[in-house]
Amino acid sequence: MISRFLSLEWKQFKRSASFDKKIAIKILMGFVVLYFATAAIALGAGVYFIIKESAPQADPLVLINNFLIYYFLIDLAIRFFMQQLPFMNVKPLMLLPVKKNIIINYLLGKSMLSFFNFIPLFIFIPFSIVLLIKDYAVLNVLVWFLGVILLILSNNFVNFIINKNTKIFYILTTFLIILIGLEYFNIFKLSTYTGIALNAFYKNPLFIVGPILIFVSCYLANFRLLKKGLYLEDLDTKKAKTVNAADLSWLNRFGKMAPFLKNDIKLIWRNVRPRQVMLMSFVFLFYGLIFYTNPTYQKMPAFLAFASMFVTGGFLMTFGQQVPSWDSEYYKLMMSQNIPYKLYLEAKWYLMVVGVVIAFVLSTPYIYFGWRIYSMIVAGAFFNIGLNGFINLYGGALNTTPIKLNVKAKAFQNTNKFNPTLLLIALPKVFLPMLIFYIPYKFISFEAGTFALGLIGISGLFFKDFFIRSIEKTYQKRKYKTIAAYCETT
Amino acid sequence: MIHVSNLSKQYNKVSVLNIENLDIPKGQSFGLVGNNGAGKTTFFNLMLDLISPTTGFITSNNIQVNTSEDWKPFTSSFIDESFLIGYLTAEEYFYFIGDLRGRTKADIDTFLHQFDEVFNDEILGKRKYLRDLSKGNQKKTGIVAALIGNPDVIILDEPFANLDPTTQIRLKKLLNDLTKDSQKTVLISSHDLGHVTDVCDRIVVLEKGEVVKDLHTSAETLKELESFFAV
Repeated sequence: MISRFLSLEWKQFKRSASFDKKIAIKILMGFVVLYFATAAIALGAGVYFIIKESAPQADPLVLINNFLIYYFLIDLAIRFFMQQLPFMNVKPLMLLPVKKNIIINYLLGKSMLSFFNFIPLFIFIPFSIVLLIKDYAVLNVLVWFLGVILLILSNNFVNFIINKNTKIFYILTTFLIILIGLEYFNIFKLSTYTGIALNAFYKNPLFIVGPILIFVSCYLANFRLLKKGLYLEDLDTKKAKTVNAADLSWLNRFGKMAPFLKNDIKLIWRNVRPRQVMLMSFVFLFYGLIFYTNPTYQKMPAFLAFASMFVTGGFLMTFGQQVPSWDSEYYKLMMSQNIPYKLYLEAKWYLMVVGVVIAFVLSTPYIYFGWRIYSMIVAGAFFNIGLNGFINLYGGALNTTPIKLNVKAKAFQNTNKFNPTLLLIALPKVFLPMLIFYIPYKFISFEAGTFALGLIGISGLFFKDFFIRSIEKTYQKRKYKTIAAYCETT
Repeated sequence: MIHVSNLSKQYNKVSVLNIENLDIPKGQSFGLVGNNGAGKTTFFNLMLDLISPTTGFITSNNIQVNTSEDWKPFTSSFIDESFLIGYLTAEEYFYFIGDLRGRTKADIDTFLHQFDEVFNDEILGKRKYLRDLSKGNQKKTGIVAALIGNPDVIILDEPFANLDPTTQIRLKKLLNDLTKDSQKTVLISSHDLGHVTDVCDRIVVLEKGEVVKDLHTSAETLKELESFFAV
């Protein structure tokens, strides 16, 4: 049965319309994975010596154990945003004599093969080997290793639970925020206790029972959750919700664009996926904190330029790069109704501009980092409005992945939260502002770089019609392809 | 009104549609019948420029549909649920289509009033998203939306499927009225021979992408069609 499932998935992959593209992406992703794996191995092998060097008295293993809780939390956070839930087109199987338990076990088993579960192996295997070389007790190291891996796999399943159940998600996040707060203000140090616990099962291998129990209960909790969800009504997400209608007539001042803007606001408001994207774009606001506080980047202001663009560009990029895809569910209507492309594109562009403006207002506290940084954010906002918006719309025109609007990240539906094609299109977006900044910065000054970034941004506005027309042409050229790709349902 | 010339569509060298010549005059109600895979939906998709023709072209009101977009203002259609915007309520959807076709909210409200019976209190004022409506109610919404804005050409794929008997009868009357008192050209496809003969002045039978019969509806048409399809 399992081999049959595997062959079904292989066929699904091989026979999809975007197959050619996908294989190129897979190869590229392969390199990315290789990079991460090498980095992880290096980290795993090196961390022992790094700790020894900076703190010669401390036992590196004890120190690692104390910090491991943070690793787990970060791992969980990354998984929450990036890891795809195990997916399988399960509906056709429901009428066939296949036991539900088999389907669920298969799905859960498959999820354990995720990239996110392999990276820890690359870190902890070399680390354990180093420990063994350094004469740590063999059995204890092995048990410790096993315990850590079991906890990471538990993370794998915890992630699915919080992804599927928003209530648990909120409870857990609140709980974590409180704990982190307590830790930060030295009131209650969680990490000391988890450190003690982790050290304990190095010292006494019998404590391995703990991680085993955690793992098994996480697995079973998922199993039960999936089994409960394996009914048509849950799969269809057809639970009728009452409408939250708002009066959007104030948008009428935008004239012919108004109906599109109204629709887009409803699109974002009423559908799970765009809402997720909008929330994600708030995270971008904090991007600056990473770069502006880190002294390394002060010497590499090109990175600051990039960060400044990101601060205001979150919504613009996350929403913009999927522009026709948001309308994929009813794309045939859009293509046959009385809608000129130009108007359609312009409306989307205005929406993105509004996104930038809102982010810009919210980014005011960055003045704290000084006017230099703030002027860079201003320049970044201009760049976003004048150029980046169009780059994103262009990228979107090349993107033919349909989006199921109201599908929450659910185990039985295909939700590509993380789309590598989009990542590739994103590359020029990242490097262009850095380049625009870097050249005048190198030859003239920091201020000149900032000025150039802003100026080139604004000047993009003068070419707005030209850009929109070029994107329109791309739309027209790819029209049939896009329609066909959007019709493909999984 | 509509002129088809040397139109063919092939997928991987397999021909799915091949119509040498077809003229649909203004004001005609035109019915397309044929078994599964005969090319009905393909033809409609070509008319709406949703797929590209392999050879030939279609002109609508002397506008070649795959080179110009100018046919869009006077053409409306409902092919399948992908013509509905799932996250809107029926009203919002009608207003949206109205906006696209230069109709005010008030226009749409008066327009919708005539369909009160069709909607049977299940579509309007229900505060339900279109994606949460039943298949039949979705279809009603789509068909009514296709009538907004007084279009000259109306294309409906399988309008009778999924509808309850009462609505089928009402829809037939509605379609008859449309072509009777105005200069509208209506194109429909159906598997129900009875319905098409009731509604259409002219019926074209497609088989494996080719026109095999082109009939002007008369008292004998239904019999003729039935004997054609009975194998």
